[in-house]
Amino acid sequence: MNTTVLIALPKGRLYDKATELLARAGITINGSSESSRKLMFRDSSEKYGFVQLKPIDIPIYVESGSIDAGIVGSDVIRELESDVYEPVDLAIGRCRMVVAAPVRADLSHIQSLRVATKYPRTTERHFTRQRRHVHIVKLDGSVEIAPQLGLSDAIVDLVETGKTLQENGMRIVEEVALISAKLIVNRTAMKRKAADLQQLITKLDTVVYENP
Amino acid sequence: MEQNVLGLPAGFRDVMFEEAEARRRIENEFAAVLGSSGYREIIPSGVEYLEVYERGKQGVHDRAIRFLDRDDNLLALRADFTPAIARIVAARLREVAPPLRLWYSGPVFRKTDRHRGRYQEFAQIGAELLGDASAAADGEIIEIALRCLERCALKDVRLHINHAGIFKGIVNSLGLLAGPLAEIRSAIDRKDMRALEMRLEELGVDGSSRAEVHALSRCVGDSQTLETASGAITNEESRAAIAELSALWRRLGRWQEKVVFDLAEIDEMEYYTGVMFTFLSPSHPDELGRGGRYDGLIREFGADMPAIGFSFSVDDLRGGL
Repeated sequence: MNTTVLIALPKGRLYDKATELLARAGITINGSSESSRKLMFRDSSEKYGFVQLKPIDIPIYVESGSIDAGIVGSDVIRELESDVYEPVDLAIGRCRMVVAAPVRADLSHIQSLRVATKYPRTTERHFTRQRRHVHIVKLDGSVEIAPQLGLSDAIVDLVETGKTLQENGMRIVEEVALISAKLIVNRTAMKRKAADLQQLITKLDTVVYENP
Repeated sequence: MEQNVLGLPAGFRDVMFEEAEARRRIENEFAAVLGSSGYREIIPSGVEYLEVYERGKQGVHDRAIRFLDRDDNLLALRADFTPAIARIVAARLREVAPPLRLWYSGPVFRKTDRHRGRYQEFAQIGAELLGDASAAADGEIIEIALRCLERCALKDVRLHINHAGIFKGIVNSLGLLAGPLAEIRSAIDRKDMRALEMRLEELGVDGSSRAEVHALSRCVGDSQTLETASGAITNEESRAAIAELSALWRRLGRWQEKVVFDLAEIDEMEYYTGVMFTFLSPSHPDELGRGGRYDGLIREFGADMPAIGFSFSVDDLRGGL
């Protein structure tokens, strides 16, 4: 592709919000939709190229430099411990990462807590900070069902409204982190394509913070 | 398992024919430039006590491939050349009149994250100039590195230069405790300017110091950047560092056009003590190599000697061709 800057967009819950934010920053994406099978496309000025990826893959592409920049949740960035720049907090996709457990469970008596999560590294760091020993069970989805089925005592997962937790008879025990989507940028791309990336950063920063 | 005999462990590979020849050519070009400039080759041991790496870069120490010898000493495969050279200088070259000019080439081994497509063994080539703390030494090592790259036919190389003293000066003037300081450092390192601003304000850092941090985070560009920085930054330590960069700039002569001053880049800032630099090629996604002044390292081995050096990843040099 003959574009100057390649940007990864997250499939899933963030996609529409991310493209809307880009549009407000004057970057409209040609003929794309999340359902489109085509994975690569450009903006109308042909200045940016876009690739749709699963969020969990985005920091890997950006850290390696295969893609210059990306929009992805801070949950994923922290989990992968990605070594990238995070110049703009985009203030979309806001939610909390929490420890949750069945409403009636008393976790304080459990010596070695079993925790099911999609975020094993973040979970480990959280409990290590608390000097608490836990056994982590890595799952890929529907984590909130794990305690009911006896796989774990608690979970670490994202909550937006808390409704899913409630429906599954769970309560929030404590907060692990506040999550929101960020613009991430490859470290050498920031130097090699300084002008174009700085322009992108300024545009996004402006629509998020100056003219919301 | 039988089938493993014909395979390789994850993260390793054989370097075949064209690639091996390309590596050899690069090594020969470096040897020619360095040899004719008074640098002498050394081949440090392939194995060290793990402790040697504890005194070098934190990130390298964490990734050293370690094992026990038959007396249960904790050893590591060579994970970096520079700490080994510091050890050699402290152990056996103490009595030699400085400056010492050394170069090296060979494999280094570092653990990588699983399934990230990265190799755990790669070829490094580099040089060190020890026992000379002058701006002339800074200029010499940068010029030698650029001459090696030119000789390898790497075009359009950019050199991003910073000085560890600029950020250290600002940090010292803020008088923060270790915890908040780590947060500030992390925000600058991630270029998260709004988080930086917010945290500085929460910490009660006064407006003029906040302005200094902010000014620094935007100081990227040509030699004009140094003037902008010295206009915005008032503490003595930072200003002395900026003056050193100006002196270096004047020495670089025909190489000046390749230089970008990048005062906002604080990666590995705790390791370096003076000038620090990164080499980039517009056509290659990874940096080609980096280097800088590390006057404290040899002291860690019981001798005291200023030092500056550079190292390149040979495969990245090939990628930048």
